[in-house]
Amino acid sequence: MVKLAAKCILAGDPAVGKSALAQMFRNDGAHFQKNYTLTTGIELLVKAVSVPETSDSVEFFIFDSAGKDLFSEMLEKLWEQPNVLCLVYDVTNERSFNNCAKWLDKLRAQAVGVHIPGVLVGNKTDLVGRRVVEQKQAQEWAEKHGLEYCEMSVKEMKNFEAPFHILAKSFHQLYKEKVETFHSLA
Amino acid sequence: MRAADWCLSSAGAAVVLATSSDEQHPAENMADGSSETFWTTTGMFPQEFIIGFPKCVKISKVTIQCYLVQTLRIERSISKDPVDFEECIEKDLQHTEGQLQMEEFPLPDFQATYLRFIIKSAFDHFVSVHRVMAEGTAENT
Repeated sequence: MVKLAAKCILAGDPAVGKSALAQMFRNDGAHFQKNYTLTTGIELLVKAVSVPETSDSVEFFIFDSAGKDLFSEMLEKLWEQPNVLCLVYDVTNERSFNNCAKWLDKLRAQAVGVHIPGVLVGNKTDLVGRRVVEQKQAQEWAEKHGLEYCEMSVKEMKNFEAPFHILAKSFHQLYKEKVETFHSLA
Repeated sequence: MRAADWCLSSAGAAVVLATSSDEQHPAENMADGSSETFWTTTGMFPQEFIIGFPKCVKISKVTIQCYLVQTLRIERSISKDPVDFEECIEKDLQHTEGQLQMEEFPLPDFQATYLRFIIKSAFDHFVSVHRVMAEGTAENT
């Protein structure tokens, strides 16, 4: 049994629902915060999830990052040595989807030469009539950039745990592979 | 007096603290005299471990066999308890693809009851430490 620890960077444009996701995940869907609060800098949340079919778990140190450019300089210092990425966009806001490329570049620059598992998350799927980014389009983009993909509606408490389960599985897999490598060294 | 390796559980040394724990790869593996067994870190840095000696020993050289460690700092304590550490050395290690890092730290004769190893950064998400050695002679105190 092992408990892994992962620094998880949660990033994306302002108001796509990063903090809503983090809060919802932390308190197990107990409460959806209706009021918008602008995140300045970083908010840190800690929560563990178990890895299916093992007795292992991953404790996430979620660095919920400000989406506003104003804070980006400060973020780069706080993002050092990341383990996993969770990139969020709003399916009703094309700009937030297009900006994912920019966010991904910034995040990957933090760990050159190291594989960082990541997931792209489309939020606000409850706003069916206002949707502008199609699932297929986003999924293809994610695949092209080596990211997993999922969609959710934090407001309807749908699928908000999926991103973290995906990341836990990937990170656990990385650990197992690394241990295999360590074995082969002696 | 004959030179000896003090970082062996058979010589009375013990890992008194390690910040990561995988029961398959426990910290004791660093002091069992074998390079085949290892301790793994389980995510995020810094990580550290402290090795305690059965008494105050005199050390002239510290050697570590590890993998993917980038910045390593070694501290020592001469207290009865693992407190009041002072820095001995800090170094950026080279990445050795597919091969153990064997890092020797020749140190001017110094005394220690505890050695503390701090892994400040790494070349990957996880590192392994296979063996730690501290060469020296026993201090007659």
